[in-house]
Amino acid sequence: MTDLRPTASARVAGHDLDRRSILSLGLGFGTLITLSACTPRDTGTSASGHPVRGGVLTYFEPQTWTLLYPPSVGFYPNGGIMNNISARLLWQDPETLELHPWLATDLPEISADATTYTFTIRDGVTYSDGTPLTPANVARNFDLFGRGDEARTLPVSEQISNYERSEVLDDRRVRFHFSAPSPGFAQATSTMNAGLLADSTLALDAEGFGPGGATRIHTCGPFHITDETIGQKLSVRAREDYDWAPPHLAHQGRAHLDGIDYLTNNEYSVRIGAVLSGQADGVRDVQAPDESRVSEHGLRLYAKATNGINNSINFRFRHALLADVSVRRALIAAIDRQEIVDKLFTPNYPLATGLLAEGAMGYTDQSGSWVHDPDRADRLLDQAGWTERNTAGYRVKDGQTLALAVNIALPQPRSNEVQTLIQQQLRRVGVHLSINPGDQSKQTLDALELDTVQIYHSMVARADFDNLRSNYSSANRDVFLNGPDRSDADDGSIDPRIDELLDALAAEPDPGKRQQAAEAVQDYLVEQAYVLPFFEEPQVFAFRRRVHGFATEPVGRPDFYSTWLTGER
Amino acid sequence: MILDTRYLLLRLGQAVLVLLLAFTAAFVLLSLIPGDGLTARFADPALGLSSEQITQIREATGADESWFSRYLLSLTGFLTGDFGYSVQTGAAVSTIIAAALPSTAVLAVSGFLTALVLAVAIAVAATYGPATGPFAWVRRALDSVPSLFISVPVFWLGILLIQVFSFQFGFVSVVSPGPAEALVLPTLTVAVPLSAPITQVLIRSITEVQASGFVKVTTAKGASEMWMLVHTVARNAVLPGLTIIGLVFGELVAGAVVTETVFGRNGIGLITAQAVTHRDNPILLAVVVIATFGYVIINLAVDLLYPVIDVRLRTQRTTASGKGLKNSDASTRSALTATAASVGVDLDWTDDTAAETSTETKATNP
Repeated sequence: MTDLRPTASARVAGHDLDRRSILSLGLGFGTLITLSACTPRDTGTSASGHPVRGGVLTYFEPQTWTLLYPPSVGFYPNGGIMNNISARLLWQDPETLELHPWLATDLPEISADATTYTFTIRDGVTYSDGTPLTPANVARNFDLFGRGDEARTLPVSEQISNYERSEVLDDRRVRFHFSAPSPGFAQATSTMNAGLLADSTLALDAEGFGPGGATRIHTCGPFHITDETIGQKLSVRAREDYDWAPPHLAHQGRAHLDGIDYLTNNEYSVRIGAVLSGQADGVRDVQAPDESRVSEHGLRLYAKATNGINNSINFRFRHALLADVSVRRALIAAIDRQEIVDKLFTPNYPLATGLLAEGAMGYTDQSGSWVHDPDRADRLLDQAGWTERNTAGYRVKDGQTLALAVNIALPQPRSNEVQTLIQQQLRRVGVHLSINPGDQSKQTLDALELDTVQIYHSMVARADFDNLRSNYSSANRDVFLNGPDRSDADDGSIDPRIDELLDALAAEPDPGKRQQAAEAVQDYLVEQAYVLPFFEEPQVFAFRRRVHGFATEPVGRPDFYSTWLTGER
Repeated sequence: MILDTRYLLLRLGQAVLVLLLAFTAAFVLLSLIPGDGLTARFADPALGLSSEQITQIREATGADESWFSRYLLSLTGFLTGDFGYSVQTGAAVSTIIAAALPSTAVLAVSGFLTALVLAVAIAVAATYGPATGPFAWVRRALDSVPSLFISVPVFWLGILLIQVFSFQFGFVSVVSPGPAEALVLPTLTVAVPLSAPITQVLIRSITEVQASGFVKVTTAKGASEMWMLVHTVARNAVLPGLTIIGLVFGELVAGAVVTETVFGRNGIGLITAQAVTHRDNPILLAVVVIATFGYVIINLAVDLLYPVIDVRLRTQRTTASGKGLKNSDASTRSALTATAASVGVDLDWTDDTAAETSTETKATNP
């Protein structure tokens, strides 16, 4: 909605210059006064102390949740709910990324080749519908997440690879078998994408997991869903009998909050305004230009690291124009990453020092690899044969213009602005960049074709080595469109080395060697100039001062278990 | 006769045809857009599904059949009241619509009534306000209100109202409002642009009627301005207003899309906006059909109201088939009398015998 503003005011303004400027001044001023200093400061106490029990937290999301089927909760609004209502076998420390037991009594016994995992299940855990957590139920959960069910349009979890079958050993133990090494599985059981579901919930189809049926979704986390107004609100309340928090945590037993009301409003200014005016307690997705305003009002601003692949552009080297490594290196030299971060973002968006965020598993420092040097870019392009220029000033070779297209990564912050800035930077070295227009569906569709999108802007977060595979492997997100079974792949342009390195990473059970394998993947991608990372992407939240103890899980989804409220808003 | 059955049946038949055409046009246009909801939902690389898995899902949902067989399938579905399933969430479209429709209906009715009150108040004040004297500027200012109202962008007005009345003054809550509280600001947001065309037409037609001969006659007979407004002017000026009311219904639907998005009301407008982003064609089709249905019904009601309000429109169909008016037959004459009476003129011309009697009276008088 915010994007429409200039267009609409321009339409209202008409042709007359004076009238237009007066009118736009009026429109702008109106928005300005209402959005700025008028709302009162938050003067609530920010002093911490002992946690207080009680109170319902109201929390704004920009979009309504779509599906509470755990493997599909990567979408932020879904994940923000699932992370708080579900419990998992293991718990991953957001700081150290170490795994600790949760619903399993201990870390799993893993075979040397990482093809079997044996978990012992905690006793006395119940779902919100009253049924107990049993090994058979855990087995049914992973049978669904590991295999999916196309008939019910429930997809397989992208985090679980090579899943074969489950085996209930006795009344406390369950074993999972894999057709090939699956070293990422232990971490996969700790994510909200493996939130355990009651038997009745496992029988639901995609419709059952969607809006309208939320109260039928039974989980065993600290909160459970009690009420739903489709498209507007979802209420979760604390479970009084919750007594199976991760033993690693200091806080045990019931959650401090009585509950959380997740509210949805698509209009950014309304969400921010509701928190600034004290009508709501918190909001996700504070945009970079508003951070100072939120802090000035005395609110707490949290920029939580997502610990994943950095916000990057991927050069689809299979396209004829990008096949030459000098061209890719020239593009990298022509793009000023520092300018992007300085002009469009805040210090909460640190400049990337590697393909992965510094807090991510498998991180390796590659900060010297992407030096901004337009002269070098010019030289490289000249050497690559792009010496002629057309009338518009763009480089031409054999009658073909050096023109590329990039997608807009709508879920990522300010993607359109980032690309506009890059467009200008590339223009200076004679490269034409067009930004692919359209909504999310069109972006998804266009990004699947090499002819429409040659530079792919994206990021993905998961706190495991397997994150590299999720993003770069041709079997998963396939950012390079590098799949050998693609219909356009028989021209020899596939680079099989990427998948080989990723397969080696996926098959390596030893953590120390996994780090080496992960570095090998990243070194290769950097050396080939396939990727240019921009910044470590945070999730930015704002909360009223009365909200204490806010935390996130390893990839930046809110975790309200230990959150507590004091006094009035 | 106020209501002609044959006419009504004809109009209802037309309505069905319009619905069918709207459904077909929407279906064809939505099919022409590259990509569909299934691609939008499942081909998203974030899900990491392989192309075989996507193909399996497409086969299971019949998305790859020819557009014509899908058309027939949806059409039979709609005829039997089965709107299909949302591609995005998998929920039945009828469930989604049923949850959204009441909120939109309430907003539409309250917005419409407010617009009507606003329009009448402004139009009357702009035409009956002081034409001279120190407050003449009020009348001139009100005269330009419609142009101002129609120019205000709905989303901006909505945001402004929230910022001022909710966040600034705290009169209403946007987080957990009561049912009436939740309706105040959205109603105003919808009503302001909606009232503009109605006001404009009312101002014009009141001005025109005021200049007509029969108004001058009535004024000459000594009627007060108020009596004139209620009995003479309003009745004649309201017809064009009625026509425009039927037409602005479409704006009501468009306004709901923006208003419900800004205010976070789960209504037809909000689900439309979401369905568009997700290429959720079953929902869009249902919305198109429902909106068309509403439009057709409102305009049918408006057409049927014309003869109720204006007696001149009552008899045309019964006389049109006759051999003309040469015999100055009784029905025509009574209609003319009624019309004249409606504008405050007594024609004294009920029938021949009455006329003769009056002539006789005149003759005998001196």
